[in-house]
Amino acid sequence: MELLKKNPFRDKFNSKKEAIDYFVRTFFMISAIISSSFIIIIVVFIAKEGIKPFITDNNGIGSVNLFSFITGKVWLEGTAFLSNLYGVGFIIINTLYISFFALLISMPIGVLTALFIAKIAPKKIAEFLRTVVELLAAIPSIVYGLFGSGIILVFVYNFAKIFGIQSKGGNSVLATVLVLALMILPTITALSEVAIRSVRSEIEHGSLALGATKTQTNFKIVLLSAKSGIFTAAILGVGRALGEATAVSLVAGNARSGPSFGFFETTSTLTSTMLQGLKETVGIDYDIRFSVGLVLMVVILLTNLMLNFAKKRVGNINVK
Amino acid sequence: MENTVFTINNLNLYYDQFQALYGIDMKIKRNEVTALIGPSGCGKSTFLRCLNRMNDLIEGCNITGEVKFNEKDVYMNSYDVINLRTKVGMVFQKPNPFPMSIYDNIAYGPRCQGIKDKKVLDDIVKKSLTKAALYDEVQDRIKGSAMSLSGGQQQRLCIARAIAMEPEVILMDEPTSALDPIATLKIEELINDLKKNYTIIIVTHSMQQAARISDKTAFFLMGVLIENDSTNKIFTQPKNKKTEDYITGRFG
Ligand SMILES: Nc1ncnc2c1ncn2[C@@H]1O[C@H](COP(=O)(O)OP(=O)(O)OP(=O)(O)O)[C@@H](O)[C@H]1O
Ligand SMILES: [Mg+2]
Repeated sequence: MELLKKNPFRDKFNSKKEAIDYFVRTFFMISAIISSSFIIIIVVFIAKEGIKPFITDNNGIGSVNLFSFITGKVWLEGTAFLSNLYGVGFIIINTLYISFFALLISMPIGVLTALFIAKIAPKKIAEFLRTVVELLAAIPSIVYGLFGSGIILVFVYNFAKIFGIQSKGGNSVLATVLVLALMILPTITALSEVAIRSVRSEIEHGSLALGATKTQTNFKIVLLSAKSGIFTAAILGVGRALGEATAVSLVAGNARSGPSFGFFETTSTLTSTMLQGLKETVGIDYDIRFSVGLVLMVVILLTNLMLNFAKKRVGNINVK
Repeated sequence: MENTVFTINNLNLYYDQFQALYGIDMKIKRNEVTALIGPSGCGKSTFLRCLNRMNDLIEGCNITGEVKFNEKDVYMNSYDVINLRTKVGMVFQKPNPFPMSIYDNIAYGPRCQGIKDKKVLDDIVKKSLTKAALYDEVQDRIKGSAMSLSGGQQQRLCIARAIAMEPEVILMDEPTSALDPIATLKIEELINDLKKNYTIIIVTHSMQQAARISDKTAFFLMGVLIENDSTNKIFTQPKNKKTEDYITGRFG
């Protein structure tokens, strides 16, 4: 009889506040589960398609060997679809190579611009530049692609001619690097700027009070204090560079073999390879693009893990 | 050397329209500890920041009058602010070590002045830490992060950082208000020690602290310097009724 009198709800929650807290938390958890399940659905779908070329005989063409696929130096040069003609090894290298140089260009420019906006520019100019950066970040990638094929290709073509090199209409590693650098620049600038602005002013004042100049303070103290945020900017920049497809396809030149290290050689990235003719093809040639997608996801995942590890290390230099 | 470090003549300070300091006249003697006391918002920090021109960083801050450091008005157009700040160091209310090693924190100021020789820097670091009574506690982790020190240690590191510049004056704005009583005591002992070689100007909210460590005490009220005399006089026989009221805790 005792048991019946007890209100289980009362028992579980000591107060109304606790009950509300419980429901809110449950609500958040459900939203988190829904959004993460989308990621799982996407991964499962791509994995299901991407595995096909390796485990089926692809309607008589024969199955693709995983090892030669990952390490291959040729991607379907010629017209016949043969299972041993698909290799992405060189494309992985191309992708990393291009992203590295894009980052190499846009990191210093982005961070210095961010420093200028956050610390040096007069208020009005800073406000204006901030708006410009936000606008640039919002421009769709196809627009960057058009700009790339209209302006950068011409520039690279003429630039190559100076060295006596006949580039393929400017389609090249250099053009791809430039377009990507341009595309990730606003992301890097905006994020670095936030990181720089959130440096505690007491630390800055501490430096100035020691007789350091504004410039010394900016470079030695402000950037140092913002390094973790700046690293995050780099990580997101690389992520965008690795995953960008539309603009890259327009300027890479879609090299079928490689890797391409020369700046005026045509190249190809994982994304541009996936995109190339995706709508016009069937069978193994269609399915294998999902395999490339899987490779891309793995590459991005590994790069992110590596950079995050590096970020922790950098964050600890002098600080542990 | 001249016995007066700072001579302040008719100093007025405005934050935009708001006047924060009214006609301050004051002399600060070498190798003395001067305490600035007064209720919150009376302009102690503002006054302190005039002495190393940290007010320059505040937009809309305007100043009239003279602040003479070693006979030269620091607000003259031609005055070298960087040089002033190397001679007049500052310790802030909240410890603000840089996110780098203890060594680099102290070597930072000298390095900014172009000192690169490792031996010289090693020497400066060791001396400064010793003078700030921190060396024994941290000698085995000098290359470790400054952020891992306790609050009191961090504040002594900031004092060491200021000492590394070999300043003539050290300004301190409530340097112990974020610290526990034991850490506070250590800093007070340190100040007693340092006054042999440095002129110290310290803002404090603690009457006891002012009485314990200072030679001179200046009482501010609403932007006006009410009374400035030897600490003993201020605490035993203040001339002004307002000073007496404040000291005996009748307001503020
Ligand atoms: N950056 C600023 N802009 C505008 N007004 C300011 C600024 N800093 C201080 N003030 C004003 O100037 C007056 C004096 O401030 P100040 O910080 O010097 O007081 P304080 O005596 O140091 O007070 P506390 O004991 O609380 O630190 C206050 O009325 C304050 O509101
Ligand atoms: Mg204050």
